[in-house]
This record gives sequence, structure tokens and C-alpha cells, in this order.
Amino acid sequence: MKPRQKFAAAVFSSLFGIAALAGCASNESASNGGDADQTDQTEQSEAGEASSEPFAFSIMANLHTPEVPDDKILNALEESTNTEIEIQWVPDNTYVERLNSAFATNSFADAVFMKNQTTFVQFKEAIRDDQFWEIGPYMEQFENLSKLDEQVLANTMVDGKLYSIYQARPLSRQGLIYRKDWADNLGLEAPETTEDFYEMMRAFTEDDPDGDGQDDTIGLTDRSDLVYGAFKTVSSWFNTPNNWGEQDGKLMPEFMFPEYKQTMDYFKDLHENKYMNQDFPVTSKTDQQTLFKNGTAGAYIGSMGDVLSLYEDAKELNPDIEFGVHNQIKGPNGEYQIWAIPGYGNMVMFPKSKVESEEELLKILGFFDALMTPENANLLYWGIEGENYEVVDGRANVIADSSVQDREVKPFQSIEVGGPETNGRYEGVFPYEAKEKAEELIKDNENYLIHDPTVALDSETFIENGERLNQIIQDATWKYMIGQIDEAGFESAVEDWKNQGGTAVIEEYNASYEELNSN
Amino acid sequence: MNQPLDIAAQEQAKIDKANLKAERFRRIKRNKLIYIMLLPGLLYFLIYKYIPMYGLIIAFQEYKPYQGIMGSEWVGFAHFERLFSEPDFWNIFANTLILFGLQLVIFFPIPIILSLMLNEVRIHMFKRTVQTLIYIPHFMSWVIVVSISYVMLTLDGGIVNELLQVFGFEPVNFLLNPDWFRPMYILQVIWREAGWGTIIFLAAMAAVDPQLYEAARMDGASRWRQMWHITLPSIRSVIIILLILKIGDVLELGFEHVYLLLNASNRDVAEIFDTYVYTTGLQQGQFSYSTAVGFFKGIVGLVMVMFANWLAKKAGEEGVY
Amino acid sequence: MVEDKSLGSRIFNYTNLIILAIIGLATVLPFVHVVASSFTTSAELAAKQFVLIPTDWSLAAYEYIFSTDTLLKSMMISIGVTVLGTIWSMLLSVLTAYALSRRNLDGRRLIMFFIIFTILFNGGMIPTFLVVQQTGLMNTLAALVIPVSINAFNMIILKTFFQNLPAGLEEAAKIDGCSDFGVLFRIVLPCSLPAIATISLFYAVTYWNTYMHAILYLNNADLWPVQVLLRQIVVLATGISYDGATYTDVPPPEQTVKMAVIVVATIPVLLVYPFLQKYFAKGALLGSIKE
Repeated sequence: MKPRQKFAAAVFSSLFGIAALAGCASNESASNGGDADQTDQTEQSEAGEASSEPFAFSIMANLHTPEVPDDKILNALEESTNTEIEIQWVPDNTYVERLNSAFATNSFADAVFMKNQTTFVQFKEAIRDDQFWEIGPYMEQFENLSKLDEQVLANTMVDGKLYSIYQARPLSRQGLIYRKDWADNLGLEAPETTEDFYEMMRAFTEDDPDGDGQDDTIGLTDRSDLVYGAFKTVSSWFNTPNNWGEQDGKLMPEFMFPEYKQTMDYFKDLHENKYMNQDFPVTSKTDQQTLFKNGTAGAYIGSMGDVLSLYEDAKELNPDIEFGVHNQIKGPNGEYQIWAIPGYGNMVMFPKSKVESEEELLKILGFFDALMTPENANLLYWGIEGENYEVVDGRANVIADSSVQDREVKPFQSIEVGGPETNGRYEGVFPYEAKEKAEELIKDNENYLIHDPTVALDSETFIENGERLNQIIQDATWKYMIGQIDEAGFESAVEDWKNQGGTAVIEEYNASYEELNSN
Repeated sequence: MNQPLDIAAQEQAKIDKANLKAERFRRIKRNKLIYIMLLPGLLYFLIYKYIPMYGLIIAFQEYKPYQGIMGSEWVGFAHFERLFSEPDFWNIFANTLILFGLQLVIFFPIPIILSLMLNEVRIHMFKRTVQTLIYIPHFMSWVIVVSISYVMLTLDGGIVNELLQVFGFEPVNFLLNPDWFRPMYILQVIWREAGWGTIIFLAAMAAVDPQLYEAARMDGASRWRQMWHITLPSIRSVIIILLILKIGDVLELGFEHVYLLLNASNRDVAEIFDTYVYTTGLQQGQFSYSTAVGFFKGIVGLVMVMFANWLAKKAGEEGVY
Repeated sequence: MVEDKSLGSRIFNYTNLIILAIIGLATVLPFVHVVASSFTTSAELAAKQFVLIPTDWSLAAYEYIFSTDTLLKSMMISIGVTVLGTIWSMLLSVLTAYALSRRNLDGRRLIMFFIIFTILFNGGMIPTFLVVQQTGLMNTLAALVIPVSINAFNMIILKTFFQNLPAGLEEAAKIDGCSDFGVLFRIVLPCSLPAIATISLFYAVTYWNTYMHAILYLNNADLWPVQVLLRQIVVLATGISYDGATYTDVPPPEQTVKMAVIVVATIPVLLVYPFLQKYFAKGALLGSIKE
């Protein structure tokens, strides 16, 4: 097939002078495509040369900003690590497609970021099939990589082996942001319990908290996201397990616990009484935030760190606006808990199809090791000291214009490995007191975490069919909260879930759980 | 068999065949420039469309990207069996057909009617302005169309519901009531694509010989009659081709659009093949299964095109092939 | 020309005009909202949500998007790809469509079927990717053009238009000694300007909207066309993310910035249409050639 294809292509292109069109391409990148073998050879020979030569390799990473950053930070980084890095930026919204196609066509970069836990799980089979380097045995050689958190590393292992370096995320940022000025107007304290919170939502809706004499406010603003929106956080307040929980020594999904039901009822009441936005199952994050910024809604449950960007827009409309942040809201049994993520957001892996020798792997690992020195970690995260930020009391204070910072520096945050605890990077100073408090509460949350027991477990059925199964329950949850189905309807959805593979998932997770515990 | 008559007839047939062959050969030779013209186009289709089609065989495999097509395990029709035995299969099929029906019956004629109306406008400035205005929405991505619709229709302060209340009506739950999904879908399609759709028909109308209209006016034909007897017949072949091609697209309804409108409460009426494949297939990297679904869609499309083409030919039209 | 001045015709005219005016207004209002939003502050947008005339005018969004040259650079790339791509695609499509419009061509039905088949079946993302890679197009802008050289749908429409030309035209030219190429370029094309304009427009718009191929085939972000940027901004700013799992500290772009990028990226294609409209004038050239 191949020679003929090439022949046909040659005929085709010479016939129509494709060369003229191809002439638009920049030369440096053109050498990259086409013949993969050739590129590999040159790279190998480069790797073999004296170590003073900068080591060239490529990284594929998510782009979370509109634009690709300019080279300033990258150049500084290359200089300090003696490398020559080609970063293949991929817009976050199409990352999965790019990841799959690069994988299937053997056109990976040397170091590939996985995007998130979900995509990582999908690659487990390929990992088991030896498509990626196992890096566990090499970790001790590297001073900084060996500082990575044991627990988080364990969460990213496949069959007890390590294949990836993680990028840390705070375990739980979830909490409440509310209108402090409204609460003060009505004489309300920050809520201690779910009942207090409900009362606050009622008062924000009915008692004219903005004092304009009009019935134009609601309590909570929420969006079409059961996890990062309000629902999962409130379910933690009710002490619902995080995705899966143990019941009589057996793992069961969260929605089979009565606490999950209580949370749904709680939302159902809020919705029915119009204490929250009526269209929340279809509201986008932007529209949800708009309701909060423009003084329609008084409470926002989600990442507490959002308080800063919310405040910056809101004060333009209403200079007197005051936000409060809060966690520690206790459920009916008087205990505060909050769900945790596995401690990583993204991770980087090294495909064997591209990284061909151990020697090359060690050099790449060496680079990531160097990234974990405080100096490089700060460069990557905050930019250049004195130009982008300055250090105040051991914390970084951004001095560059925020649009400059967003464009020059922030994109590089997506190739950070580890986190402030492990790579020694500065924490930030924030000019807004509620944001400072939010950062404190995010740390405080770590004392009350509920972990997902299935993070390190395996279920074949879940990998194959999990998305579909989740959807059955999510749909039923939404419908129950807006009153389109009743309890019987929800139960029948749970039955559907069981019949379409849920029962197998329960069995597989429990088997995997027992295996793990017996070891 | 040995009858001399038969032999003669056979000989004659041979000669006829030879003549026919020779004649065909001459015709081909005479048309050689035409075949040369065809060559680049056919090469393109061969290289970039037909060669990749070997990828369709993964529909019959348990394809693993790193094992490649050569190394993946064969599973026969297992993916098709899975598709047909999905509990939601018939529901999805019905949803897809209903949306397709809406597209065909409600949307398809609108650009034709609009172009007929535009074609009758005598004030050039006005005509050009309207043409340009109705063509703009095509450039708004579905994300924008859907988010603007949300802002207008939401119960939480959307203009439409505010207006309804001003006039003393009850607010309507456009976004969460499944009954509103289909009207909303087709209205958005019309808003975004109707103006764009007129371009082709206006071009076809522009090719009509003005003398035909002159003659008709001389005969005292009214505007309606001119439209009916001159304009419409002259764009008929374009309409038929578009119709046949549209029918082949029966299972393609705009993944992104439907996906953005899809939510928990309307899934029963809004889930179509594309969105279904997205959640079951691509999201979990199940290449084989989604290829099988694509294959199935292709076959349905092929059958529909062949049927529509046969029908068109039966009615004395040209057809697409 | 004889103008019809009867009462019926006048009523017809006015109703027609009024209906069209209403339709034009209804289609353009949301776009007015987009334009107006790009000229206001994000605070006003948050307060009102739907803006037709900004009370608080601001050019901040435009200042922001033009403060680096990324947008301009990607616009230039898009314009280049669109112009070259359209010419290339038209060349191939016209040749193919003209050849197939000849009713006496042996094998015509088979070839048409062969082409229609490609509308219905495709090998999918990965095999296509491999062919693009094998033909040496990776990381070149040609990867945005060559793999989509001919759109079967556009080609078929073009063929239908060619077929609708009066048969006498070609025969006359042949008798005058024109070759097939001569007939195509001297007779058929000049008589088909509305069709050529239409199909060129279709190709141009497709190339302008190129997005997924750029992400798949171009590793070098310097080559990204404007739609990649537009899309990224819109998705980030609308907060409609296909999965909510990735959370970063990077704030999403402002709503006003989103709107400004939409406006800037839409204007070039909006300018093309009025320019092409003169070819849509009724019976533009056909009449003159016949005489």
C-alpha cells in the first residue's frame, strides 16, 4: 500500500504543483512531519552528543488560554535547564481528539500530558500493554522528583506501577461564596448548618436583601454541572460518600446512600420555592456567574478561589458589594465533610514510540526534575522575578499587568509538575481579603476530606461503559430535582443502571478492593 | 445449437459487439481531453477519500490504536449487534428521523420561498441589504446561537419570558420542557441557515434568460404565473439535486448543535446517533464502535440516496448519478 | 424592459418588501447584540445580558485583542489559506464538474456514484490522518487545503449548473474549432458566473472556518488560522466545556473580548458577499453572449 500511496501522491502533487502551496509552511516545522523515522534518528544522534549541547525534545500540553504564549518564559527555562523544548500546544477543548489521533498514528511528543483523570483511565489498557515508560524505578535517582507526594503517586499508579508525573491540585477548593452585605442587611451570620443555609437562601429570596423594595433576588445560583457546580459539595455537607462509599464492608455507589437522596430533596425544595435559578440544569458557568455578579443571586457554591474574579466584575456594577467565603457547613448529623479530588489535575507520560532509549528517558526525566526546583517552578508559574512578580513575606505578588501575566506566564502553568508543597514554588499574595481567606479555607478543607475509594481500583465495565452509566444517574438526579420524576422514577433509573452494567461495576470494584486490601 | 441460422446470428452479434466496442473506443478517444480533465479530481477522491476507507474495517474489529489495524482482533458483526440491541436504539432512531423530517418538511422549502421573494424585489439596494443580513447568522457558531437563545429564553430574567409576563401570560419553561426541544431546534436551524440556503437558488435564478420574462409579460402573465411557470421550473434541477443530497444526509443533523441543546430533561426526544456515539464511543476511545455506527449511517444514507435517485429518474428528472 | 404597474403587482411588491424587511431584522438582531456587546464593558453585559445599544461605550475589548499581533497574524493565515484554497478547489472542481456535465461521457454514471459514495462513507479521523502524513502534508498549511480539495456536494451543484446551460452554446463553439478546454474556459465559464461565484463563496467560507484540521495537522501554533483562536475564546468564555474536570487558575476571557473576536473574525467573510453580489444580477451575461 505505502509505496503506491506515495507514488500516487507524487504524481498528484507534481501534476498540480502542490509545492507552491506547501511553500506557505514554515521551514522549521515542515521538517517535523512526513517521515517520522528520520526525525527520530536525528534526535538520537543529538542525544548521543556531548552533554553540553542543549537536549532537544517535545512536550504536548493543554492550552487553557486564548493565545499561545510568547517565548520569553520558555527561553529563560531552556537556558536554565540546558534544553531545547518544542511545546505542542493543543487547545483544551479539542485535546482529547488530538490525543487519540496522535496516539493512533504514532505521532506523539516525547512528553505527553493526559488532560485529566478521565482520559488517563482510558489509557490504562495501553499502559498495561507497555506503550509508555514505567518511571517508578528511576524516581529515586532524581532529587526533586523523589519529593513527590506518596499518596498522590499511589493514586496515579496502574497495577502498583508508576508511569506518570502528576501536576498537583489542592485536594478540595469547594465551599460557599455569598453576599456578605446582604447577610449583614438581614442580620444573618455565616451559615453553620445546611438548615442555616436553607434559611439564608429563603431570606435572600423573600426578605429583600438589597433593600430596593423589589422582589428581584434569589438565593443560590447553580449550573449544569453536578460535580463542580453546587450539588456534589452540598452532598458532602450531608456526608454523602465521594462517588463510592462503604456500606457493610461493601463498596456501593453514592446514589444508593440515603444522604444522596437527602441532597436531592434539599435541591428540590430550593428549586420548587424558587430560592435558586429555575433553569440551573442548563445554565452555563458564565451565566451562573452573571447572576451572582449582577446582584440577582446571593450565593455561589463551587471553587472558593473564584471569589476574586467574581468580585472584580461585580464591583464595577456595585462598588459597595461585599463577598464572604465560607466552608464548614454541617449536615444533619453535625459533622462537616468535603469531597476530595485525587490530588492531581493532569499528568505527564512518556510514550515508548517516541522516547526510544532509556538514556533519552532519563534526560527528559532530568528536565522535569529540574522543573521541580523552586527557581524553575517559580519561573514557570509566576514568571520572571522583578518583572512579573515580586516576593513579599515569602509569597509571590504579581506586579505585571494582569493581561500581560495572563498571556505571557499563565499558559505555562499547564506544564508544571508537582505543586507548591513539593516543588517549593511560592504561594500567591492576593490584593483582596476574601480571596486570601478562600486560600486559607482551601487548606482548612484538608482536615475534613472524603476520598473516593475507587481511585486506585479497576473496573473493566466502568472503563467501557462508565460514561453512559453515569449519564443514567445524572439525568435521573436532575429530573428528580426539578420535579420531573419522583422517588419511584429515580429508583427505576437506579435499576436501569444496575441492569446496563452497574451490577458488574459493583462486583468488579469490590473484587479489586478486596485484592488491594489483602495485599 | 448447431443450426446455421444461429451461427449467423452469433456472428452478427459478434460483429455488432465489435462495432459497438470500436465505436465506444472512438468516443472515448475523441473525449480524451475530457478524461484528462477528470483525472486530478478522481485522483483526489482516490487518495484522500478512498484510501482512508480501509479504516472502515475497524468496525469489524476490536481496534486498539497501538496494535494497528493489522494487529487488532476481529469480532465480526459484534459492534453492529451491540448497536441494534441497545435499549435506546429505536428511540434514537425515531428521534433522528423526526428531526430529519422537520428539516425536510419545514426547513428545506424556506430558502426556496425566500429566494423567490428576493428574486421579485426590484429595488437593488434593498435586495442586496436583505440578502446580506440574512446571510450573517451562518457565521455565528452553534455555541453562540445556543447561548444567545439561552439568554433570551431563560426563566431567570430572559427577555421572552419577561415580555410574556408583561402581557399577562404565564412564563414558559422553554429550556427544560422536552416539548419545546424540537421547535427550538428547527427554529435555530432556520435562523442560522435559511439565508445561507438562498444563495444557491438565487444563483440558479440569475441564470434564467431574461427574455423569457419579457415574453411572458408581453403575454400578460401575472407575477405569480411568471414565478410558477418560469422561475420555479428553471431552478427545478437544482432543487432536485439538493433534495436528493439532503435525503442522503438523513442521519446527519448537526452534532454540535444538538449536543449543546441536550440536557437531562430532553434527552428522550433529543438524543440522536451523533450525540449517542459521542457519549458511548469517542469519549471512551471506542473507535470500533463509533466506526460501526458511522458505517450504519452510511448504509442508511446510501439506501436513501439510491431510492431518491430512482424516484427522481422515474419522474423523468436527471438524478445525481 | 416592460414594467408591470398593475395594482395586484404593487400590492405584491409591498407585502413582499415588508415581509423581507421583518425577516432581515429578525435575523440580524442577535448579531447586533454581538456587535454591541463588543463595544461595551463586561459590567454592562453582566447587568443586562442582552444589549442592542450600549450605554457604556468601551473599546477595551478591541484594545485587548489587538494588543498582541496573534489575532492579526492568524487572520493573515486564514486569508491566505482561503484565497489559495478557493482558487485551487475551484480549479479542480470546475474541471471535474465540466467533464461530468457532458452527457455523452462513457462511465459517467459510475464515476458520479463513485463520488457520491464519498459523501456517505468516510474512513474516519485516523486513516485520513495517516494519508495526510504519508503524503507529506503534516505541519504545512497545504494540509488544510489538499485533503479537502474537492467538496463533492459543491462539485455536483456546479455540474448541475453546467448541465443547465443551453446545449447549443457548446456545439457552436466546437464547430468554430474550440477544444474541450477552449469550450470550458471561453464559453462555459463566462456563462456560469453566478454559479462560479456561489461555489467559490462556499469554498471560501469552508476554508475560512477551517478549524479541526488545523489542530490535528499543525503542531506549530504559529500556523493556526483565526478560527482556532476564535473557537478557543468562545468556548473558554462561554463556560460550555465538554468536560468540567480541568480546573485552572486562569480566568476565562471577558465576554466582551469573546464578542469582539467574533466580530473581527466575521467581518472579512461578510465583505465577500456584497462583492460577489454583482454576479447574481439577473441573467448577467447569458443574454449578452447569446446575442
